[in-house]
Amino acid sequence: MIPELLDGSAQAIAEAVRTGTASAREIAQGTLSRVKTRNGALGAFTDMTVERALAKADAIDAARARGLDLGPLAGAPYAVKNLFDIQGLPTRAGSKINRDRPPARADATVLARLDNAGAVLIGALNMGEYAYDFTGENAHDGPSRNPHDPERMTGGSSGGSAAAVAGGLVSIALGSDTNGSIRVPSSLCGVFGLKPTYGRLSRAGAFPFVASLDHVGPLARSAGDLALAYNAMLGRDDADPAQAHMPATPVSRTLAQGAKGLRIAKLGGYFAQLAGPAAIAAVDTLARALSADRTVELAQADAARSAAYLITMVEGAAVHLERLRARRQDFDPDVADRLIAGAMLPGAWVAQAQKFRRRFRVEALELFRDVDILLAPATPCRAPKLGQKTFMLGGREMLVRPNLGLFTQPISFIGLPVVTAPVWTAAERLPIGVQIIAAPWREDLALRVASALERDGAVRAPVAKYA
Amino acid sequence: MTPESFDPEALAEAMATLLGLTQTPESRAQTIMHLRVAAEHAEKLLSVPLDDREEPAPVFTP
Repeated sequence: MIPELLDGSAQAIAEAVRTGTASAREIAQGTLSRVKTRNGALGAFTDMTVERALAKADAIDAARARGLDLGPLAGAPYAVKNLFDIQGLPTRAGSKINRDRPPARADATVLARLDNAGAVLIGALNMGEYAYDFTGENAHDGPSRNPHDPERMTGGSSGGSAAAVAGGLVSIALGSDTNGSIRVPSSLCGVFGLKPTYGRLSRAGAFPFVASLDHVGPLARSAGDLALAYNAMLGRDDADPAQAHMPATPVSRTLAQGAKGLRIAKLGGYFAQLAGPAAIAAVDTLARALSADRTVELAQADAARSAAYLITMVEGAAVHLERLRARRQDFDPDVADRLIAGAMLPGAWVAQAQKFRRRFRVEALELFRDVDILLAPATPCRAPKLGQKTFMLGGREMLVRPNLGLFTQPISFIGLPVVTAPVWTAAERLPIGVQIIAAPWREDLALRVASALERDGAVRAPVAKYA
Repeated sequence: MTPESFDPEALAEAMATLLGLTQTPESRAQTIMHLRVAAEHAEKLLSVPLDDREEPAPVFTP
């Protein structure tokens, strides 16, 4: 029974723990055992919090014995990208350098909130160094491997997060997304990922990359679990100065309302021109399932991607300049040279990029007067092979590392909420994701559509068969 | 500086000194490659006309 629960949803685990069908300790022990067995092949975990997990599980079981409320995620195992502060561990953020930092004195805000909801932290997850990555490869810890084909990339930078969920190691993982780092690995590993609106969830205690663009969010094997995790993490936190003063509206009540009545369109132009056949087929599949026959254009998406690219280079370089001076040799060379280049760029370019960001936002909001949901590919293709440096896009050979996110980057540039939903076309053993994009602060609509597609069988996130 | 007049080799040379960064020949070549990519992106961005009164996105709230 425990293995079936671990392959299922966090929601089902919490229900089993609440009703006493399974104890939180049995779930935690089963999860820890799975991680020990499977992690060698997946490279998903970099740290395990065994004592903490068992202590938390025991506390949940004791609370149940006393008849207390256990929370909506009671006993559900989760893990976090290793850029989130975990009390007692140095926050490595995928780097060698950060391992010398003192252990974090407290959990990141979103961890504390998941714990309050009853979730059980299992450990920290592999990621691309300092989150400057779309591949899931890591020069220090080795790559995270795609559970559906371990010779292929997970995508990054939240690669361990997607591998842990797709491999059935945990029900929910947390990632961060600056330009696509939740959505790209969700696409390549076939899991659901939520990048909320910029400023929605607290980033306090997450190691920074690009303050203008950094988001945090959950990955899971169902839209319902994304919603549960998202609800648990909502709420004001003065420790994140970028957090917006918006009401914390839970999405549970609207999740089952279906997609009927919503105005849904495909994004054409830039998003259709560079997408490969699998990406186009996946978007078309979901458009058909939703009876969405309109195609609209988000003008200047190409320039938006370029602006995000330049802001990332410059702000990322500013975060790491002192480390580049003092410990250049301890960086992943692929990351260091991009950061060094970013430190050299003209300031006027990034100032112009921030001006364009406001303009592009106005144009996107205009589009949302006429539509509720936009569909676009999450990645241009399915998972490339590990070590693959280039691929063909639109007839041109391009670098994999910076370009796997060329469809996610214009969307996060203006902070729109997105659910990435996994599509499996006939006879294909690798998934590919579609971005379900909503207007700012309408996570509820993106989750509603993902949930409706899941109920119809158009999207799904099975645990990898090999596992 | 405009993308048309962009000289990544000269920029890398001058800025490495200014920033106090020492680079191996391999690292310097990679940095120059990334500067070229950045210049391509800047060209796309700067081709979009923006009014002088256009405000940047971030708003600082004291």
